[in-house]
Amino acid sequence: MQGLLDKLRATVGAPNVLTGIDLSPFVVEGRTPDVVVLPGSVGEVGAVVQQAAAAKVPVTPWGGGTAAAVGAPPARVGIVLALKRLDRLVEHEPGDLTVTAEAGLTLEALQTALRARGQWLSLDPPEAERATIGGLIAANASGPRRHLYGTVRDLLIGVTVVTADGSVVRGGGKVVKNVAGYDLPKLFIGSYGTLGIVVEATFKLRPLPEDERLVGVTFDRLKDAGAAARAVLAEDLIPNAIEILDAAAGAPLGLGPVTLVVGFDGLREQVEFQASALADMTASLGGRRATTLPASAWTHLAAPARDAFASPGAVMSLSVLPTMVADTMEQGTEAARRRGLASAWAAHAGVGAVTGAVVADREAATVAAVLAEWRVIARAAGGHATLAWAPLAVKSQVPVWDDPGPAGRIMQHIKAQLDPNNVLNPGRFVSGI
Amino acid sequence: MATLTLDRKSALRRELEAIVGRGGVLSEPDELLVYESDGLTLFRALADFVVFPTSAEHVAALVRVAQREGMPFVARGAGTGLSGGCLPSEGGLVISLMRMNRVLEVDYDNQLAVVEPGLVNLHLSWAVGPHGYYYAPDPSSQQACTIGGNIANNSGGPHTLKYGVTVNHVLGLEVVMPDGEIVWLGGKTRDALGYDLAGVFVGSEGTFGIATKIVVRILRKPQAVKTVLAVFDQIEQASAAVSAIIARGLVPAAVEMIDQLTIQAVEDAFGCGYPRDAAAALLIEVDGLRAGIEAQCERIVDACRQSGAREVRAAADEAERQLLWKGRKSAFGAYGRVSPAYMVMDGVIPRTKLPYVLGRVNEIVAAQGLRVGNVFHAGDGNLHPNILYDPRKPGEEARVVAAGAEIMKICAEVGGSISGEHGIGLEKSDFMPFIFSAADLAFMQRLKTAFNPTGLCNPGKVFPTRKSCGEAGPVAYRPHPIEERGLAQRF
Repeated sequence: MQGLLDKLRATVGAPNVLTGIDLSPFVVEGRTPDVVVLPGSVGEVGAVVQQAAAAKVPVTPWGGGTAAAVGAPPARVGIVLALKRLDRLVEHEPGDLTVTAEAGLTLEALQTALRARGQWLSLDPPEAERATIGGLIAANASGPRRHLYGTVRDLLIGVTVVTADGSVVRGGGKVVKNVAGYDLPKLFIGSYGTLGIVVEATFKLRPLPEDERLVGVTFDRLKDAGAAARAVLAEDLIPNAIEILDAAAGAPLGLGPVTLVVGFDGLREQVEFQASALADMTASLGGRRATTLPASAWTHLAAPARDAFASPGAVMSLSVLPTMVADTMEQGTEAARRRGLASAWAAHAGVGAVTGAVVADREAATVAAVLAEWRVIARAAGGHATLAWAPLAVKSQVPVWDDPGPAGRIMQHIKAQLDPNNVLNPGRFVSGI
Repeated sequence: MATLTLDRKSALRRELEAIVGRGGVLSEPDELLVYESDGLTLFRALADFVVFPTSAEHVAALVRVAQREGMPFVARGAGTGLSGGCLPSEGGLVISLMRMNRVLEVDYDNQLAVVEPGLVNLHLSWAVGPHGYYYAPDPSSQQACTIGGNIANNSGGPHTLKYGVTVNHVLGLEVVMPDGEIVWLGGKTRDALGYDLAGVFVGSEGTFGIATKIVVRILRKPQAVKTVLAVFDQIEQASAAVSAIIARGLVPAAVEMIDQLTIQAVEDAFGCGYPRDAAAALLIEVDGLRAGIEAQCERIVDACRQSGAREVRAAADEAERQLLWKGRKSAFGAYGRVSPAYMVMDGVIPRTKLPYVLGRVNEIVAAQGLRVGNVFHAGDGNLHPNILYDPRKPGEEARVVAAGAEIMKICAEVGGSISGEHGIGLEKSDFMPFIFSAADLAFMQRLKTAFNPTGLCNPGKVFPTRKSCGEAGPVAYRPHPIEERGLAQRF
């Protein structure tokens, strides 16, 4: 290890190699990394990966650390390769509606720069002040506005990655439409650093809307809010978000028991028209008190289920058919209640992205049993579930990832081709990757 | 692949017929000729067999026979591709999916449909139209091209400016892998489990396997649509108008540019109402809510006027709107009136580089003594220079190819790409080094190996093939082994 440390210090400079007490912010699932390295250039990232590969030490890429707890517990964290020094906004040409940034730039810093020129990257995941460009690609992070604007896969048009052998590879490009070569950007989205380390990315942008408004509507039952969400989908409205929050998740909005939150943006007259159409429509479906929410409510919509508990016992993301959202939330609540546990639920209802959080319990087995049942519910609703956060005691009893079936073998083949020595974030991903 | 003996060939034919039925196999040279090209007639190659499966199980069985025989195989839709991507360039099996053309399921509540790959793109919009829905990606060939072919090329179309390309509308695929296994990539829900295999598969040009079922999103038809025609005396003004529209924070559904040569060809052929003396016209569409659509329209008209448009008018009714779009979508066909043949390029550039690159394109083509018509997706920066030529004139084809290579080089130099929606196929494979390094290509090659380890699934596409670096331009035509043996003739 000492030999490797010396090489790393020679590569990135001694102040950029952290050891000892400095490692504590980088502990993953109770495991402390051997060393944290902060390269200052793409070339240095490549050199560090090469040195790690030669020493047979795993590499854990690290952005803002917001998703570090996602995934199976690692056997060894090895070298944490932190990208925070690669934080330049490389190129923003407003006329092209594209931006290129380095992986370590935080989303908030990027948005601030873009807003100053009337544009934005239409992604609104939680913790934008910590989340980095590279991390949001690796974790496929998203937020409520994905309803209209999609996820990273709809916006990322180019990536530069350092691969498992330390070489630099580019995929896609800087233009908004491009079919030359395989779509490498798609490959890295949601790959959690297992196939390469994103060091730079290019995105499509949008102009900032003239106006935006969030409207909250109160319902007595999840079922009714679900029916209202479906009615909104079937209408001519073009919302940018459709959220359903149960009593626990929606409490800070003060509208419960169940809250349907719908966002609109565009020209002022479009927003006015839609907000009033929504109020009329939901009133006929049992909705009450259609209320304009303050813009600060957007922040609360990023992770409302998780935030419902000071220290949740576990958080699970369930991807289901949009029509199954309210049923999933109801069944999930009931499954927890049967075991005596409170839960909180929220959903990006129009796209079927549901999150459940269960309160902490002394018995990890009880929490695990609830999560196992939630997964069965997700599958029955046509989807799958991922354990977004849980303590080790729970993870040891519930797999983090669902089984992708035969597609898992293709994923293993891809990993074997692109990282044959299993250097990058080994053992944490789907199908044992 | 070794040349098939006649005995071996008839034995194989019987085996293929046992899989797909007697009416489902072609192997006579005159029958195979129909399948020797796609929409890019510069390239030709004859298959040993063309087969017509009707199920994923058929496709799987065919693929397994091909693997056992070491025989290349390639999927084919309507053959409207423009890069030679579905050609059996090394012989073997063409698997036509045209008999798998059903809409299997439509779920309006979840806004998705499950279709077979041979379904014609426009037929899906027809199927869901009565319920107020449509399928957004709309390549100009949408009356003929298939959803499966759209998957292979990640096809675009005029409305991708606002709605994205094919991949943005695909949730999942049932795929016959190159080893014959039937696997689902993605599914009906939005978030992939594990790697986004469906996302990676789309646009892999038939080299990762053959899609047999496709889950696509269907969208609510917009409440209102407004189409504006802006006419310019200088092409630079039209380019400036594109930038001006974007600078005003507008996202039109489409911004298409048509130059003078194209306008005249279209007017001769169809009389769509474009002024023949204009240097360029922009066809701009906004859609969405009725509320605010007039305001958006006004801003666009204003942007065009400020950029020097001599005339800006909105289509008065649906009939006029359809006529304007007919002119745009039929432009390729109209070139037939002014030239015996044309080759369409597909470069993409940053939008701000439009004036510079359009000027360079005209210079490059003129330097080869040829003419060019431009009709393209200006809002996306996706150019379609159509180089007109006469294949009967000796040397002209080579000059077209040379001009095409230079145009691709310019696109690459300004930070663009060599293909926006037509694919690399055979046509552009040797130009991949313009935009990708050896390391980039080696990485893609390893990804291909993960899906397609024997390489028999659509070989010879996407990656550069030529070893020597002295040659310029693709080899337009190589005689097929069947021709060399005197079993087929080319007319």
